[in-house]
Amino acid sequence: MDNLKEDLKTQIIEQLNLEDITPADIADDAMLFSDDGLGLDSIDALELIVLLEKYHGIQVTNPDEGKVAFKSINTMADYIHARLG
Amino acid sequence: MPSTLASPDYKGFIEASLLRRMSKILRMSVACAKDCISQAGIEQPDAIIVGTGLGCLLDTEKFLNNVLTIEGMLPPTSFIQSTHNTMAGQISLSIGNHGYNMTHTQNSLSFEHALLDAMLLVDEGEQNVLIGAADEAIDFLSEVSIALHLNLQQKLTSGASFFMLSREKSVTSFACVKDTVALGLVTNAEKEISAFLQKNDIPSNGVDLLLFSGSSNGLNAQVNSLLEGLSLEKARQVDYLSLSGIYPTASAFAVHYAADKMKSDRFIKTALICNTLIHSNLGLTLLQSVEA
Repeated sequence: MDNLKEDLKTQIIEQLNLEDITPADIADDAMLFSDDGLGLDSIDALELIVLLEKYHGIQVTNPDEGKVAFKSINTMADYIHARLG
Repeated sequence: MPSTLASPDYKGFIEASLLRRMSKILRMSVACAKDCISQAGIEQPDAIIVGTGLGCLLDTEKFLNNVLTIEGMLPPTSFIQSTHNTMAGQISLSIGNHGYNMTHTQNSLSFEHALLDAMLLVDEGEQNVLIGAADEAIDFLSEVSIALHLNLQQKLTSGASFFMLSREKSVTSFACVKDTVALGLVTNAEKEISAFLQKNDIPSNGVDLLLFSGSSNGLNAQVNSLLEGLSLEKARQVDYLSLSGIYPTASAFAVHYAADKMKSDRFIKTALICNTLIHSNLGLTLLQSVEA
């Protein structure tokens, strides 16, 4: 699980081109779409959907699932685990 | 030797959250436009007009590569930012401008078309119009030019230039845009240039600085022959492509160069920019010093 979280941080930094941010700067429970966290926006949400398909083979077809799954690194890792069984 | 593109610290001009998505042409355009607005001392222009020959090539190439290589959903950012009007849009977003926002793309005459639009708006009563041009080079352009055996006299490169066109002269004014034209299917450049000068009451010996784009075949050769007929010292005849490199809107760089020269040399009262970058396309821009 910890490896998955570290992989997710690296993938997010690469996919969203987050300059000057390292995996160590992203806390597992930091709010991804809050200004207190990473401050992501709606275009980033689309990039995260692409990221899940590209790296984990998961298609997010239900927008309500995305709202919960993309809250933090912890919720993303939980979502991936649940989807992959 | 590859040319080196000057890159300022873009973080001084653009928020980090916007900067991370911006390609070279967007960074150049937004930073240049913001610096121009700041130098002009204008809080908000009434309009933003951009000319670009080939638009956001890096994002276009990235998006097309994604289409070819990715199965399933495509990342949206490069698609969103691959359109020609992204620069004008991003400038508008970065300064919170809600005015007229237009992009002109007419190959090597894109800047002249944008300038014409700006002049029309000022004629209609707008006070300050931000007008500029930008293009970016990607490796593919060089590959294509080699495959097409194009004999490019200068290197392909990227560039952005922005100006504030104002209705009223101010202490920050560099030069006055007297006139500009964008002509296609031109066969006799010499005749067109003479007619343009005549229309603006400028005698053939009344041009103090002439900027031209190369001196190979076609219209360039005609401009060369015109140069020989002018009583203009060599230092006042400048091939601006040798300074800027080649990109579709390099004539905007020439306008910047001419305005700078006018500011530093008070004997230059009238400057003519002859853009013959592409065979049969002729762009002419006439600048006069603020004092004139």
